[in-house]
Amino acid sequence: MESMPETPPAIAVRHLRKVYGEKAAVDGLTLSVPRGCFFGFLGPNGAGKTTTIRVLMGLAPPTSGAIEILGLPMPARAVEIKRRIGVVPDESVLFDRLTGREFLEFVGRMYALDRRVAAERARELLDLFELQSSPKKLIAEYSKGMRKRVTMAAALIHRPDLFLMDEPFEGVDAVGARLMKDLLIDQVRRGATVFLTSHVLEVVERLCDRVAIIHQGRLVMEGDMAGLRNGSETLEDAFVRLVGAERAVEKLDWL
Amino acid sequence: MASQLFAILWAQWKALWNFRPAEGRTGRLLGILMALIWYGMWAMVALGAWFATETLDRERLRIGVPWGLMAVSVYWQLAPILSASLGATIDIKKLLLYPIPVGQLFVMELLLRAVAGLEMLLVLAGGFLGLLRNPAVPVWGPLAAVPLFIAFNLFTAAGVRNLLERLLAYKRVREALVFLFVLAAALPQILVYSGMPRTARRFFAQSPSFLWPWTAAGRIAVAEHALPFLVLLAAWTWLAWLFGIAQFRRGLSFDFAARSAADRSTARDRGWVEALYRAPRLLLADPLAALLEKELRSLSRTPRFRLVFLMGFSFGVLIWWPLLRSSADEGGSAASYPVLISVYALVLLAEAVIWNVFGFDRSAAQLYFSAPVPFWKVLAGKNLAALVFIVLEITLVTLVCLLVRLPMPGPRIVEAYLVTLVLCLYLQAFGNLTSLYYPRAVNPDHSWGRASGGRIALFLMLSYPLLGLPVLLAYAARFAFDSQAAFYGVLAFAAASGAVVYGVSMDSALATAETRKERLLAALGESAGPVVAE
Repeated sequence: MESMPETPPAIAVRHLRKVYGEKAAVDGLTLSVPRGCFFGFLGPNGAGKTTTIRVLMGLAPPTSGAIEILGLPMPARAVEIKRRIGVVPDESVLFDRLTGREFLEFVGRMYALDRRVAAERARELLDLFELQSSPKKLIAEYSKGMRKRVTMAAALIHRPDLFLMDEPFEGVDAVGARLMKDLLIDQVRRGATVFLTSHVLEVVERLCDRVAIIHQGRLVMEGDMAGLRNGSETLEDAFVRLVGAERAVEKLDWL
Repeated sequence: MASQLFAILWAQWKALWNFRPAEGRTGRLLGILMALIWYGMWAMVALGAWFATETLDRERLRIGVPWGLMAVSVYWQLAPILSASLGATIDIKKLLLYPIPVGQLFVMELLLRAVAGLEMLLVLAGGFLGLLRNPAVPVWGPLAAVPLFIAFNLFTAAGVRNLLERLLAYKRVREALVFLFVLAAALPQILVYSGMPRTARRFFAQSPSFLWPWTAAGRIAVAEHALPFLVLLAAWTWLAWLFGIAQFRRGLSFDFAARSAADRSTARDRGWVEALYRAPRLLLADPLAALLEKELRSLSRTPRFRLVFLMGFSFGVLIWWPLLRSSADEGGSAASYPVLISVYALVLLAEAVIWNVFGFDRSAAQLYFSAPVPFWKVLAGKNLAALVFIVLEITLVTLVCLLVRLPMPGPRIVEAYLVTLVLCLYLQAFGNLTSLYYPRAVNPDHSWGRASGGRIALFLMLSYPLLGLPVLLAYAARFAFDSQAAFYGVLAFAAASGAVVYGVSMDSALATAETRKERLLAALGESAGPVVAE
């Protein structure tokens, strides 16, 4: 019997290094994210999460190492890869002098959607994210949470196979965050992969089935959630144990 | 998939349409007026080109057209550099997220280079129409030459821009390039004022070498050996395309953050520099000392500011040197050049530290409103920092002048300091207001570019004579009474009036900051559309 060809992972990173000056922000990272999984990428501040995700998004070239996304090499086939990924970067990628609808239409057209389809989906996404009430409002006038919502809507407009998200829930109110989580869960159910970073460990614990922890640019742990928690531990306990931050809180005498 | 290109253009159009400029209707009218003056001037040049190419005989066209086309090429490639602005560019940081083929981004880049060279397109159009109407020239000549020549220039401009942008990201290379630009800019003046050598005059009396693209385009335009020259021009255009696309691709994958981090990691710690940064705390109390110290540290680490500062005492001296040298030889008023160069340096520095004082802070300007610091101290800290750098600049100008052995009488050096500082007082009084009324976020890592919007910059240039009036009155007094005492008397009066004007303007700035702080912070955090002006 002929064996079925194995589906390549959604993300396969080997020995990735990204150096800034003399400091390696990412230092020999090797990582595999299976398709159809909700993957949490964790680490303390300055661990190299954002750098990794920026390299995966094609925003920064790696210093060395190999990256494959959805079975295609990055950056050699960057355009094909970008067509199939939806991104929520850490910093604003919005054009402030466009309205939310104009921006979403623009993004839809960037992903080669037909104009009418882009306009229709933009309208539906604005409805879904409750941004329709002030259609003439420029993005410059949006609140932080509204900006995040419109960024999330932009990541969804072309129905990608993989989501790369850096702190997607930061600054979003509880209702918006719930909506975004439900949407992402639906996407994973239909077979898409979600790769996200978040400092809110409770959210990661509830959503993700696999987790990797990076510290000082190096991978310190990768596995499923149950394996990581090691029995009765919470994710927070495991995280603190793994990144070596479990130190006594010393009192500052002036505080 | 040209649809993405159209989508970028559509989004840019929408962004411009939605833009509600802070300066309101007057500002818009002023902008239109400035554009009319600028392009009207070039339209006159284009008409001149039309007239010349329509009336000249073939032999003169044979020599003149290649020189004209060479001038067009030189302006197209160098003018954006010498005006310290690389022109509008695509916001690559944002557009890189999308699956846009490099080819389409490159077409967008070419369109922007065409916009940056609009003046030259006007002139070429004038020359082209003139040639079409010249009975001595067959119609197919200009029809074949001009489009290919435009393509050559666009590809070259795209390549030069991307190459320069990357080179300017390297610390030492950046400084070396500035000196090269300075020398290139000063060369024509030196030639003009030192008298053009006979060999140079002979050189310009004949057509440039037949190998150059402008000569090839000129020969095709007048239909002389058109076929071989067409092959030559096509080859030049192909090379320019290779250069342009290669540089553009390298620009796309260039990591500016990594480059800047590499520079920082190799920077040595110098104790005396640290001591200079800390000097304000010896003289002033916090928070003013802290604000001043922050400004000194951040400005001196800002590539854009460093470039302007460097240009002040290098470009400033070189650009005026031939004029001053010849004037000095004739026993004229060359002794005023320390003043001239210092004022010129002040004008250059004003772009970075006076007209738009919050530009480099961008969103961080929020801190000035959230911290328990009186806002006048924020403005005073910024003004003091500007003052420190201006005094340093005048000192460097003086040292460079002494180094190139220009006569530097002591009283003129004193005059340079006093005149520049009095003028600076007026500029800062006005600058505090423009910084609040016309704020604009500036990327401190991009060394080449303007700190204020183009129209505002032009408006400010026109304000200089008015702001300099008190100082000019001092010179008028010296001229009228032939007396140094009269000069210093009026200058002292100008300084006292300047202090009053500064105080009044500070009050007005404080009130403005209160009422416009939301708009100010929004403008400083804004990133308009897919195209950004540099």
